[in-house]
Amino acid sequence: MEYLLHIGIMLCIYIILVLSTNLTVGMANLLTMCQAAFYGIGAYIGTYFLMQYNLPFIVIALMVMLATGLTSLLISFASVKLKGDYFILGTLGFQMIVYTILYNWISVTRGPYGIPGIPSIKLFGVWSLNGIYAYFFFALVLAVVVAMIFSRLQHSPYGRMLKAIRTDELSAKALGRNTIHLKTWAFFISAAFAGVAGLLYASYVSYIDPTNFTLDESIFIITALFIGGIGSRVWGPIVGAAVAVILPELLRFVGLPDAVAANLRQVIYGLVLIALMFVRPQGLLGDAKLK
Amino acid sequence: MSYANARKEVFNLLNGVNMAVEEGKVTALIGGNGAGKTTLFNIISGFEKDFKGQVILEGNDVTKMPAHKIALKGLGRLFQGRQLMDNLTLMENMKIASDDTTGESPFEGLFCRKRVAKSEAAKEQRAIDILMKVFGEDNKYLGMLNHKASELSYGEQRLIAMARLLMGNDRLLLLDEPTSGVNPRYIDTFRTIVRDMVEKEGQTVLLIEHNMSFVRSMADHCHYLADGRIIKSGPTQFVLDDPVIRKDYLGL
Repeated sequence: MEYLLHIGIMLCIYIILVLSTNLTVGMANLLTMCQAAFYGIGAYIGTYFLMQYNLPFIVIALMVMLATGLTSLLISFASVKLKGDYFILGTLGFQMIVYTILYNWISVTRGPYGIPGIPSIKLFGVWSLNGIYAYFFFALVLAVVVAMIFSRLQHSPYGRMLKAIRTDELSAKALGRNTIHLKTWAFFISAAFAGVAGLLYASYVSYIDPTNFTLDESIFIITALFIGGIGSRVWGPIVGAAVAVILPELLRFVGLPDAVAANLRQVIYGLVLIALMFVRPQGLLGDAKLK
Repeated sequence: MSYANARKEVFNLLNGVNMAVEEGKVTALIGGNGAGKTTLFNIISGFEKDFKGQVILEGNDVTKMPAHKIALKGLGRLFQGRQLMDNLTLMENMKIASDDTTGESPFEGLFCRKRVAKSEAAKEQRAIDILMKVFGEDNKYLGMLNHKASELSYGEQRLIAMARLLMGNDRLLLLDEPTSGVNPRYIDTFRTIVRDMVEKEGQTVLLIEHNMSFVRSMADHCHYLADGRIIKSGPTQFVLDDPVIRKDYLGL
């Protein structure tokens, strides 16, 4: 049972991450390869607040969102100067820089030694979340709230303008819209919620190190988004996260020979992805295709 | 104004263009392919900044303004070859052309539901009014408001893209080849829209057009652009009957 709850909690964390990625990649057509960097920044900043101050979750979450959002401005600046493929390379660079800082700034992050003993979340400053059941229900509520926020945002006039920019940024400018401003907000919000996912992760596993927030992680998040489908529906990212988190777990029970099981699981997972891109390039529930 | 190409090569595509557009009138800009008409539109609307000269809109110098700010000053544009946003519905395409931006900041979109709902309702009503005025009381587009724009043909998208310019309160409209690639049957609808813009909305229209019967029937004034400058300006009839233009541009 604890195994299932653990998968449930990780699924909720990935739902938040994939939903946040959909705002930039799916809505604003900005393919970012650095979501794990924001996830990591959120985890480390969240850890600092959890260890230093005895504050309610909502206060820490807001501070993490603000701090992570502010770091996203670096990428927003790049998006103004870099277009298309160059922008993707720019986000890759950001991901690598953040990883390198987390790994090498040992006096602050403890680098490869990681940070152990991260305290649990305190809901209102007093009730500490104890046990896997409490974490599961908390993560579930948080994922539902985040999904509702993104759903409302994506169906608001703001979401409509992001979709318009996605199709034709030039025309959106000619209609009097400050597209840089709109995209900067998309990055800010996306990074802020990835930061919340990081905070939840850090307090749940109570130990973090930089290897949790690598480029591989960013690619995993993007892959989950493409499986579910980009666009204005929140069900796409939710289903994508579910498939990406649960499918590798299911493959454990297929009965593969032990010697090759790990590698074969990766191969099967890869084949499923390639097949999906052929059959449904817009993902399982997407309403837009990648340009 | 003058414009050199992106590689700063010596030749000037536009070289000493000086053009005035009279308020409340339709002015046509004609000239051969590659004469620099669209470049001139890009300069006026702020998409091209690498030029020497000045752009004055209703007495305000907008030369250094970014494109979206010039648009907010009252400049609307129909692009050559571009149509509606195909992943948005017909109604969404109308709404994004409105100058009311309520709910387009994330916080307003999330938290000010009443204000957003009120502004959305007003935009919907305005969109329906425009569609009824342009295409008639009982037109097929009213039943397609929630359909994706990609379901419409090229010509229809072009018509709606024109009609949606009426959603904003623009002062000057730049129309880049509005009738190109469009079924002749729709040309009269284009005429209705342009007339509405000028006579009912008091807007000023500057259009690039190769369809001379459209230019003759719509434009009050005409500028002929060739060799990087305005060679001839004046009432449409006067310009189009010029022997040099008849020979060099119209091939008559």
